[in-house]
Amino acid sequence: MGKAIVITSGKGGVGKTTTSANLGTALALSDKKVCLLDLDIGLRNLDVILGLDNRIIYDIVDVAQGRAKLHQALIKDKRFDEKLFLLPAAQNADKSVLQPEEVKKIVDELKPDFDYVLIDCPAGIEQGFVNAVAGADVAIVVSTPEISAVRDADRVIGLLEKQGLDEPPMLIINRIRTHMMNDGQVMDVDEITQHLSIKLLGIIFEDDQVISTSNKGEPIVLNEKNLASQGYRNIARRLLGETVPLMNLNPEKKKGLFQRISSWFKKD
Amino acid sequence: MQNVVLKGYKDGYEITLNADADFNAILAELTKLFAELQLEKEKSEAKSLSFDISTGTRLLNAEQKQQVEKIVSRYPLFSIHRFTSSVMQVQDALEMIESRTVHLNASTIRNGQTEDVKGDVLFVGDLHQGGILRSTGNIFTFGKNEGILHAGYPNDATAIIIGNIHTTQQVRVADVVDIVEDDKVQTNDETVVFVNDLHVLEYTEREKVKIIRPKLFTRMGGY
Repeated sequence: MGKAIVITSGKGGVGKTTTSANLGTALALSDKKVCLLDLDIGLRNLDVILGLDNRIIYDIVDVAQGRAKLHQALIKDKRFDEKLFLLPAAQNADKSVLQPEEVKKIVDELKPDFDYVLIDCPAGIEQGFVNAVAGADVAIVVSTPEISAVRDADRVIGLLEKQGLDEPPMLIINRIRTHMMNDGQVMDVDEITQHLSIKLLGIIFEDDQVISTSNKGEPIVLNEKNLASQGYRNIARRLLGETVPLMNLNPEKKKGLFQRISSWFKKD
Repeated sequence: MQNVVLKGYKDGYEITLNADADFNAILAELTKLFAELQLEKEKSEAKSLSFDISTGTRLLNAEQKQQVEKIVSRYPLFSIHRFTSSVMQVQDALEMIESRTVHLNASTIRNGQTEDVKGDVLFVGDLHQGGILRSTGNIFTFGKNEGILHAGYPNDATAIIIGNIHTTQQVRVADVVDIVEDDKVQTNDETVVFVNDLHVLEYTEREKVKIIRPKLFTRMGGY
């Protein structure tokens, strides 16, 4: 029996969809069978980030309303043979066409066949959020270091705690700009984690490549050397139960030979 | 057997209804008692009398009270002062306990949430920005306070807030609100917020509780 994880944030633009796509891909790369569920009905884009937008025939609303079978609507990502699937959102409807029970039914139907069902939640705390949370066992809250995102995350965590999921929600701090955090211009990782008082699942550094690869329909996780990619891979490993240390905020640059020699003579 | 007993005390008259007797029997006896009283009253000079009705270990419901009142209302000179009994409903008792205990509260109140407490609260949890801790009584806090503290909700202006409140967004007591802005309140773990005689929120130190709220001070065990 798989685990259904909702990825949510409250505020828009913090990287829910990017996180869903990359975390799903990272789990698929770790040989887990993953289904991504896009619940941002009317504004779907998880399919675009995964590069699967051309292949949508049926969507989740078709499944809920009985126009298509679940397996007909699932899109297989050919890059990860039989490991990554997407159930896309509808484009020509809005969030209120789905009811929480319908979403729960679909998720429950998916869980026996997959190791992980990742639910991409729309921004806001209205119907779309209620639908997304209905089927979930666990929640991941994505926030950026901005105060507005943290404040919204706080609100959403409150709602999630009321919902009574199987486990307390976990936190991903996304789009960290190291120089701003090191300068103290934004809240740092410890401050945010302490303020929200939930478990920190991982941190992701801001990286231009995340956007450029998304534009090509390739999740950044596929690029092993990228720092953001490593962040997502670490999160996937932690989800699988491994203990992985948090990434360093000050990645040391490789020193040249002369620098190394001169550092021997430095007093500190 | 006599089911209705009239007794006179220094501060008035009390009619005790036998708690084990049938209520109809009591009503019959009451009717008789008042008829006799009226006769006696007519002999002496007219002066209105008011009675306490004590029901012992029986609780009268609204209908029964009405029946008793109906009997008494036939006589313009007599009236019922109040009903008393030595027992109370479990629910009322629980509510009374609730409103009189100091509740220890360690919850995390997040943005958009409101934690309602009946009675006094000793808060040791986290109150985040945008969260509200609201109690019908006093708030004593040494938790993390970054939201809104509301004591004496909805209308008890005698309630106070004690604790470190310089990081809160607002403090409210009853219907009075104050926005706690930077440097307005000193960093002091013992700030007291109360509504003064002009119905304005005022900040003072812990030592002043004895002067501003002597009753509370005594209740807390001070003297």
